[in-house]
Amino acid sequence: MNTDFINICLADDDEDDRLFFTDAFEELKMKTNVMTFNDGVELMDYLNDGDSILPNVLFLDLNMPKKNGVECLLEIKQNEKLNDIAIAIYSTSSSEEHIEETFVNGANIYIKKPSDFEDLKKILSEVVTINWQYHTSGLNKDNFLMRL
Amino acid sequence: MKYIQIHKSPLFLKIIFIVSVAVIFFIGGITFKHITVLKKSSHFVTNSHAVNTELERLISYLKDAETGQRGYLLTKDTAFLRPYNNSKDLIRDSFNELSKLTQNSRTQQANLKKLLFYINKKQNYLSKNIYITQQKNYKEADLSYNLTIGRQAMDSIRKKIDEMIITQKILLTNRQQDYDSTMSYTPLLIYLTLIVTLILITIAFIKMNRDLVLLRNTINTLTVANEASNLAEIVGGFGSWQYNIDSGQFTFSDNEYRLLGCAPQSFEASSEEFYKFVHPEDLQYVIESSKSVQEKTNLNPFTYRVIRKDGEIRYFRASGRVVTVASGERTHIGTTSDVTEQVYAQNYIEERNRELENNNKELTAFNYIASHDLQEPLRKIETFLSRLISKDYENMSKSGQQYINSIQASAKRMRMLIEDLLQFSRTNKAEKVFEPADLNEILDHVKQELVQVIDDKKGTIESQNLPILNVIPFQIQQLFTNLINNSLKYSKTDVPPIITIKSKLVSALDEELLPHNTLAHYHKIIFTDNGIGFEQEYAKKIFILFNRLHNKNEYDGTGIGLAICKKIADNHKGYLFANGELGVGATFTLFLPAV
Repeated sequence: MNTDFINICLADDDEDDRLFFTDAFEELKMKTNVMTFNDGVELMDYLNDGDSILPNVLFLDLNMPKKNGVECLLEIKQNEKLNDIAIAIYSTSSSEEHIEETFVNGANIYIKKPSDFEDLKKILSEVVTINWQYHTSGLNKDNFLMRL
Repeated sequence: MKYIQIHKSPLFLKIIFIVSVAVIFFIGGITFKHITVLKKSSHFVTNSHAVNTELERLISYLKDAETGQRGYLLTKDTAFLRPYNNSKDLIRDSFNELSKLTQNSRTQQANLKKLLFYINKKQNYLSKNIYITQQKNYKEADLSYNLTIGRQAMDSIRKKIDEMIITQKILLTNRQQDYDSTMSYTPLLIYLTLIVTLILITIAFIKMNRDLVLLRNTINTLTVANEASNLAEIVGGFGSWQYNIDSGQFTFSDNEYRLLGCAPQSFEASSEEFYKFVHPEDLQYVIESSKSVQEKTNLNPFTYRVIRKDGEIRYFRASGRVVTVASGERTHIGTTSDVTEQVYAQNYIEERNRELENNNKELTAFNYIASHDLQEPLRKIETFLSRLISKDYENMSKSGQQYINSIQASAKRMRMLIEDLLQFSRTNKAEKVFEPADLNEILDHVKQELVQVIDDKKGTIESQNLPILNVIPFQIQQLFTNLINNSLKYSKTDVPPIITIKSKLVSALDEELLPHNTLAHYHKIIFTDNGIGFEQEYAKKIFILFNRLHNKNEYDGTGIGLAICKKIADNHKGYLFANGELGVGATFTLFLPAV
């Protein structure tokens, strides 16, 4: 696999959302390699497999069956091999509790799923091109939630 | 003040008693002395008489002796010598008697000595004469000489006796004077002390009388108070008990028995008897809780169950404390109230409260989940719509495009509704953390948030210096945002909106808008705009959820924004009022408590 490609993973139980996600990256025509997983268990199985290519950015839906986004987040952050992955929470909810909880547990950015496809493309391109090192060092609760 | 206290105290009576006793002793002593003196004087008078009589008798015996001697001398008849011989013994006896009678007087004793000398001399001469005449040849001259001397001796005796009588008289007179002088002031003294005693006794009597009246009044008051307390116990449904800490004696009031369904005083008042009525499940608790009664400390109130004589279970509440009376005795007094109705009422209220709380929780959860979960499908509708429009809009028929636009507008409106509803439920749900916040800073944040709309409308926001208040900052920001947003939205199309915000501290009594029973002071913050306004009759309606004054084609909105404002004001124990004049503008008045 070409190292110029940005590896992106998405864990989301919603088929439509996975479709919007992959469509958006297709239309963006960026050098990205997108993988999707149907739930948290699938995602973690992949990440924990030693041969897997680890993603540069991981998009996590919160409300998933079997293993939800927060559980995945905790597991990843406790794993030394995985805790360098930039994690973007990707959820319908923008409730304070969810934002607070994921921020405290080490997520890098919080994205509320937009209701316009063009907005979605805009957000995803911005997130993928973020200089994570810079973003993470200046991270606080105010800029954690991604706004357009 | 101090005098009055002494006057009132029992000490006063004690002093009077002691003084009276002392006075009586004094009078008794005086009287005793007086009687003793009287007795002595009377004895002395008797003695004086006896001395006089004895002296008379002595001289008469001497005379008898002389008469007898003379008869013998004349007749030589020895029969005349009998009185003479008798007189010797009689004189001796009489003299001894005299000597005894006058033993207390040295003058008389001295006189007696001399008298004895003369008597002996006289008797010598008497016997000498008899002796001379018994001789055969006696000389007349000797006899006559002897007789002369005898007469002289007799004269001396008489003189001495007279002298003694006079001495006795003088002694008597002296004694009389002594006695008089002793007795003269005694009656006065007795009289005076008697008067003093009488006065003291009178004072004591008055004092005791007054005390008795006081005591009677106190007893009357106490009787009335007792009755009142009994009545109060019956009316108030409580009983009382007393426990004398020193004697260990219990007393129950009549109503204490009635509370247990028993006739007053129908069993002996004791904790053991009372425990028989306590519900077995509560008995241990009651015994534990009652320990303080024995430990002589105040009894903390506690509630327990009893089974009345008729078998009914009632809730009782006990409380008590230690009272120290004037005499220093300590008594534990307490009350027992039948709180069954209150307990039931409280249980009912608690149950209702729990129900309400649960209902409220469910409602909030329902509201939150509904609006949250509704967003998911809606978002997909919108996303698919946006994809449809970007990909296939051009290929659609005119009417198809129209329908797509309408669907998009409806979906957008639905999202707005859901978002506002979510906001509204969050206003309820969120934790209410009050902290001091500068309202000027909050207003600045709001201006930043609304900068796009303000610029679009060319609006101005003027504000005076706003206070620093203890509030829930993000809620107040929401309130300010909604009010300002509202004013901007309902501005006149041809006039740039001007919003003024004024603030002042007011007293609740001066504000007609405020209801009664509020806090004393409020910060009154007035938002005024020059927008389209509204008719005053709608002033209350605009705060009701989903209530709108305008068609959604003219102004978009959900009718939730002002309802949120109202709720936030409520959360702060404040008030929000609206005033409007159609075509002139609207005024929103916010009262926030000044603490």
